[in-house]
Amino acid sequence: MAQGTPFMQTIPQAPFHHLHALWFQLTGTLCNLACSHCFISCSPTNHALKFVAPETVYQYLDEAETHGVREVYFTGGEPFLHKQIMPILARSLQVAATSVLTNGTLITPAVAGELAALAAGSPYSLEMRISLDDVDEARNDAVRGKGALRRALRALQLLQERGLPPIVAVTEYFYEAQETTPQEAGDGSGFYQKFRDFLLENGIEKPRLKVIPVFAMGKLHPSETGASYVTPGMMHGFDVTTLQCTKSRIVADGGVYACPLLVGEPEARLSESSLSEAMQPCSLYHTACHTCYVTGMTCSNY
Amino acid sequence: MFYRRIAVFGGVYSNYQALAAMIDDARRHQAEALFCLGDLGGFGPYPDRVYPLLRESGVQVMRGNYDVSLAEGLTDCGCGYTDPRDNYYAALSYEYTFRHTSEDNKGWLRTLPDVLRVQLGNYQLHMSHGSPRQVNEFLWESTTPDGFLSKLCGDYEADVLLCTHTGIKWHRRLPDDRHAVNVGVIGRPENDGETHVWYTLLTADPHLQVEFVPVYYDYEALARDMRQEQLPEAFVETIRSGWWTTCLEVLPGKERARGRW
Ligand code: SF4
Ligand code: SF4
Ligand SMILES: [Fe+2]
Repeated sequence: MAQGTPFMQTIPQAPFHHLHALWFQLTGTLCNLACSHCFISCSPTNHALKFVAPETVYQYLDEAETHGVREVYFTGGEPFLHKQIMPILARSLQVAATSVLTNGTLITPAVAGELAALAAGSPYSLEMRISLDDVDEARNDAVRGKGALRRALRALQLLQERGLPPIVAVTEYFYEAQETTPQEAGDGSGFYQKFRDFLLENGIEKPRLKVIPVFAMGKLHPSETGASYVTPGMMHGFDVTTLQCTKSRIVADGGVYACPLLVGEPEARLSESSLSEAMQPCSLYHTACHTCYVTGMTCSNY
Repeated sequence: MFYRRIAVFGGVYSNYQALAAMIDDARRHQAEALFCLGDLGGFGPYPDRVYPLLRESGVQVMRGNYDVSLAEGLTDCGCGYTDPRDNYYAALSYEYTFRHTSEDNKGWLRTLPDVLRVQLGNYQLHMSHGSPRQVNEFLWESTTPDGFLSKLCGDYEADVLLCTHTGIKWHRRLPDDRHAVNVGVIGRPENDGETHVWYTLLTADPHLQVEFVPVYYDYEALARDMRQEQLPEAFVETIRSGWWTTCLEVLPGKERARGRW
C-alpha cells in the first residue's frame, strides 16, 4: 500500500465560508441510464438513496434564502424522473438561479416548452446542463448506453429552439492530454474545440461547455495503490476556498452532506435535517478530495 | 463628504476614448463627484492613457481584480476562466496591458482602496468591484437573488450596494428602500449589438434615483488604435459590433441568450 488511509486525527478540514450553492440530489440514485463511469453508480434499479419530497425541498429553499444563497442545483440520478419537478423548479426560481443536471433523455418538446415558460417567468436564470462524453456516437454510447448521444442532442436542440441555451457537461473520460493546446482559439484543435465544433455543426449556436474531471469513485473504483489523500502538509499555503465544500452543501435522502461528490457517504453527512447545522467545517477524508485539491474543480456551472 | 448627485462607473479596460467622453458627460449632468469601481486596464490599447484622465479629473478610484493583478505583479487577470480559448484571449490582453503599464502607474494602483463608502443624501453607499465579499465575484442580474442582496446590505451596513465587473448594468429595488446597482462598464459595449457604453448617475432627491446614461464615443478611433497595437481582431469586432466574442463562458443563461454568440 503506497499511501494508505490517513489516521483520523491527521485528516484536514475545510472551513465553511458562505452558502453560495445549495444542491438537491432530487431523485437519489435512480436513473434511466446506467453509465459505466457514473460516480455514484446510478441505474434504473439503484434505490440506495431515495427521492427528496417537494415539502423537504421547499423547507430547505426557505432556509437557504435566509443564508443568502446564490444558486440552486438539482441532480440525481435523473431529476426528470421526479413527478413534481416542474413545481419544484418554479419554487426554486423564486429564490435563486436554478440549474438541472440531466442526461436529457426525458426532455420532450412538451417538457422543453414548460421549462422555457418557467424561465421566462423568473428574473433568475434556469440552466439545463446535459451530459455527454464524446462527440463520436459509438464512443459516447459505449459509456452512456445505446442512443444516448442522439437523445441528448435532440434535447439540446429543443431547449435552444425555445431560447434556453443549454450547457453541455463533459467528463474528461476520453480526454487525452495532447488534445488541449494553448492556441485552441487559433488553430481549431483541442478538447473544448472538438465539442464546440460538434455543437455548432448540430445547430447549437451558443455552445456552452462545462468540463469535469473523472473521479475514481462509484463505478470507477480507485485501484488500491492509486488512491491518494489530502494530507495536513498539503494545506500549507493552499487556498482552501477553491474547494466547493467551503461554499456549498447538498440535501439528499438522509440529510445534508458536504458536497455533491460525497452525497450519501455517512462520513460526509453533516446534519440529518438542518442546513444551518450543516454549515460547519467538513472533513477532507476521501480520495475525491484529492482530485478536488489537484484540479480545483467545482460542480457549479461557472 | 455628503453628496446629492454622483456619477459611478467601472471597467475602463483602457478605453480612454470612452473615459474622456464620459467625464465630460458627467460634468454636463452636474455630478458633484465621480467614482470609478476599478478595472482600468485590459482589452483596449495604450493602458497608460487612462491614468492622467482619471487623476486630472479628480475621479475617486478603487481597485478591481485587474488592478490588483497589475499592482501585485500577478501572472493573470484573476477572472478565473477554465475554457482554454477564453484563457488564451485573457492572457493576451493581460500580457499586453502588463507590458504597457508604467511602473509609476502600477505603483499608483498599489495606493488605491478596495472599497469606497460614500454618503449620498440619506443613503449609505457601499462600493465594491465584484461583490462586497470577493473582488472577482460576478454579480449578474440573473444570478443575483434578492435574498442574497438583502443579506449583503445587512452584513455591510449599506442602503445601496454598487458594483461592476460583469460588464452589464442593472438595478434591483429591495425591501426597506434598499438598492443594488451594477453600474456597468465604460470599456466595452454591453453585448446588445450597440456600440455605446454606460455609466450611472445616482441622485438623492431625497429619494434615490438611478439613471443609466449612454456614452457615445469615437469607437472607430479606438478600433484603429487596437489594430495598430495588434490586439486580437475578436476584441476589435466587439468594439465595432457591440457583441461580445470571447470570455463568454461566465455568462448565465439569460444574459447569454440575449447576445449574438
Ligand atoms: S446519466 Fe448521470 S446519473 Fe444517470 S447513470 Fe449516467 S452519469 Fe449516472
Ligand atoms: S470531494 Fe471535494 S468538494 Fe467534496 S468534501 Fe472533498 S474536497 Fe470538498
Ligand atoms: Fe473585474
